Amino acid sequence: MSAVTAAAPRAVRGAPARRGVTLARVLAAEWTKLTSLRSTAWLAFGTVAATAATAYGLGLFVRAEDGRSGTGVVTSGSVLAQVGFLVLGVLVGTAEHSTGTARTTFTAVPRRLPVLAGQALVTAAAALGTAGAALGASVLATSGVRSSVPLALDLHDPGTVRALAGFLLLHTGVALLGVGLGSLLRRPADALVTGMLLVVVLDPLLATNPGRVTDTLRALLPGAGGRLVQDDAALAALDAATHGPQLGTWGGGVVLAGWVVVALAAAAYRLRRHDL
Amino acid sequence: MIEVEALTKRYGRTTAVDGLTFAARPGTVTGFLGPNGAGKSTTMRVVVGLERPTSGRATVDGLPYAELAAPLHAVGVMLDARSVHPGRSAYRHLRALAQTHGIGRARVREVLELTGLESAAGRRAGTFSLGMGQRLGIAGALLGDPGTLILDEPVNGLDPDGVLWIRRLVRELAAEGRTVLLSSHLMHELALCADRVVIIGRGRLLADASVAEIVARSERAGTVRVRTSEPEPLLRALLERGAHVTPQEPGVLQVRGATVGDVGAAARRCGVTVLELSTEAGSLEDAYLRLTADAVEYRTSDAAGAPAGGAR
Amino acid sequence: MSAAVVTGVRPVGTPRRGVTAGGVVAAEWTKLTSLRSPWWTAVVTVLVAGVITWLSANASSVDPGFVPADSISTGLLLAQLGPLVLGVLVGAGEFRTGGFRSTFTVVPRRWPVLAAQAVVTAAFGLGLAVVTVAACVAGVLPAAASRGMTLDLAADGTPGVLVGMVLLLVGLALLGLAVGALLRRTVPALVTAIVLVFLLPVVLMLASDPLIGGAASEGSGLTVTGTVGVLLPGTAGQLMTLPAGSTGMDGAPALGPVGGGLVLAAWVLVLLGLAAVRLRTRDVT
Repeated sequence: MSAVTAAAPRAVRGAPARRGVTLARVLAAEWTKLTSLRSTAWLAFGTVAATAATAYGLGLFVRAEDGRSGTGVVTSGSVLAQVGFLVLGVLVGTAEHSTGTARTTFTAVPRRLPVLAGQALVTAAAALGTAGAALGASVLATSGVRSSVPLALDLHDPGTVRALAGFLLLHTGVALLGVGLGSLLRRPADALVTGMLLVVVLDPLLATNPGRVTDTLRALLPGAGGRLVQDDAALAALDAATHGPQLGTWGGGVVLAGWVVVALAAAAYRLRRHDL
Repeated sequence: MIEVEALTKRYGRTTAVDGLTFAARPGTVTGFLGPNGAGKSTTMRVVVGLERPTSGRATVDGLPYAELAAPLHAVGVMLDARSVHPGRSAYRHLRALAQTHGIGRARVREVLELTGLESAAGRRAGTFSLGMGQRLGIAGALLGDPGTLILDEPVNGLDPDGVLWIRRLVRELAAEGRTVLLSSHLMHELALCADRVVIIGRGRLLADASVAEIVARSERAGTVRVRTSEPEPLLRALLERGAHVTPQEPGVLQVRGATVGDVGAAARRCGVTVLELSTEAGSLEDAYLRLTADAVEYRTSDAAGAPAGGAR
Repeated sequence: MSAAVVTGVRPVGTPRRGVTAGGVVAAEWTKLTSLRSPWWTAVVTVLVAGVITWLSANASSVDPGFVPADSISTGLLLAQLGPLVLGVLVGAGEFRTGGFRSTFTVVPRRWPVLAAQAVVTAAFGLGLAVVTVAACVAGVLPAAASRGMTLDLAADGTPGVLVGMVLLLVGLALLGLAVGALLRRTVPALVTAIVLVFLLPVVLMLASDPLIGGAASEGSGLTVTGTVGVLLPGTAGQLMTLPAGSTGMDGAPALGPVGGGLVLAAWVLVLLGLAAVRLRTRDVT
């Protein structure tokens, strides 16, 4: 420890005019933070594997007379996949607060909001990439059943392309909702339980008891985002069966986006106005 | 330059900081002292914008912290060694911090080397000892080569080498014209490296002066200690001269209001043998305990009656 | 300062009783009840159970064939999340906060701590379950009154359902504890527990019941997904809350309330056993 005497001679006294914090710099820092944790890579890998395995497993039960579509089989892992994306977002949103890193991060970026924006953007990028990988893996995992039944996956069909793009949008949206809830609630357990309730638990529970009130609630919960991956026939069937509002093609996605915006805005408000 | 003006911070009904005013100036090491719960950490957290003051203000180089364009270049902060994600390596932690200000990789390696962490740079911070975590915190504070440093308990958990290193480091930083605000519980450590001391208790300012001035307020400062085989006659002689004498352990007298020469002369006149004769220097610890005697929130029960007892 | 400080400490070597089972249980009880999160979880669970039962009973009271007793367990579908989360927090809590360092230095054999946590969680869960079921019963009363019906809790099958509801809630608290103690980290444990209890049944349902086409219940034979589904802890536990004569689930073997309870108990015991083995044979860091 003797070599530590001095920093190289520095002529600084006080702060000279150096460019400080910019959004691009915060973004780079948040990307480093996300990619420097082993848990991120394991989570992404686990999500892709679980999604593809679920799609493969459910594919085993598909029979020709079910009247399912190719996209339905490919995206059937998305119920479970949403959990992985939610956890990704929640971990990003709560990490600062649950580990004390907030002290370091927010003394470097005292305006605070660029950090939240950076977290949302890097999470969206990571989620989009992971969702792309999960989709690719699901397409491969279900190729056997799709050729034997057979079920078409026609990329010239607008409905098919919309459902596959919806898979990417749904999971990116769920991850962003996780960031918002995590940053707002600050404790992983709270944010996770809330998120899982909103996204994956309440919807099937409400579905067991169809009625005007429960169907309206289902249409207003972020779980409605699950409609993004349904093909056109399934959406029509859902809209025909509901006693609540009919959400049409994009309605479910809009509801999910609304929840994302509200959660992130509430998180921004708490971050700005309250002590850390 | 850190200026704190009439700063008050309340949490519900608890007042953590109560109308505190002080300044830490360039080129000096300012020690920040107070019992547990006195409001030191709260004050530091308000200065760096993590918490909002209830009233009053705190500025760095004349600006509220949140308005600094490049906070890392203006202020280096180490509040708690556990301010790192345990799953992230030391290098990546510093790299992410550096990226917020466009600071390059070379500077990250430089501070790792400076804090003696280069061999541990790839290890996850969760595996670090308290001392290594402390060094990582200091590396983060030095990253932006700032003009002001705020260090909360920097020697906490460091080995003797590390303590010596911190002492030299803060002296050098101040010698380069930087402002250093440093809190510690270790009095002798602060006495060695601080120029000025700000002492607070229950959120209020108790003293703000140079170390020498504070030490001079010590109860023992300037008293004479004399050991003799026959204390009785000497005690009487000194009392006749108007000195203030307190018998201490057998054969030892503590004399106030007389010089070493006076005591020596008195001993010669009454014919007793002097075994030991000296002026007490006083200490920062003594002065501190005296100042904060009423302001201690958590105290072991048996120390209550004898605030200076630990010094002997 | 002086030896006076150490009054109250016995001379070294005085024989004393060591760690007792009762002491460990008492310590775990203090730890559980001194935290705020179990109480919050309990309050939310009771409220959710009561309110949802009330809403659902009100909604179905317009049916001509409305039977108040059938609505009692509707609030439990969501409220069962409460004990599950509670158990996970108790099981993983020590590892999350670092409290295990002091706990396991005091009780170095470790497994008595896990056993004590199970006892304490079961006790707290039992109290919570009784209050929750009471809230469910209270939730049905307004709807029953509006139809001029009385709720006879002693009527055929109803006592069994009430006991089953209590046992389900206690069982899920223990399941959460086991998952938490096994995985030791809150986030993975919560995800695992919720996926196991709530999500896998939904995923399996996708296999047997496609969204469109109404292919469901074409036969009464056993199906793979139905069988796997009923062996999941949540679904099996659910069987305890069904009246004795009810048909059970499509494509699943008829386990009945007792069988369902045994399946849930088996899950709890196996997972607790794994957690105990991990505790004994692996380092705690």
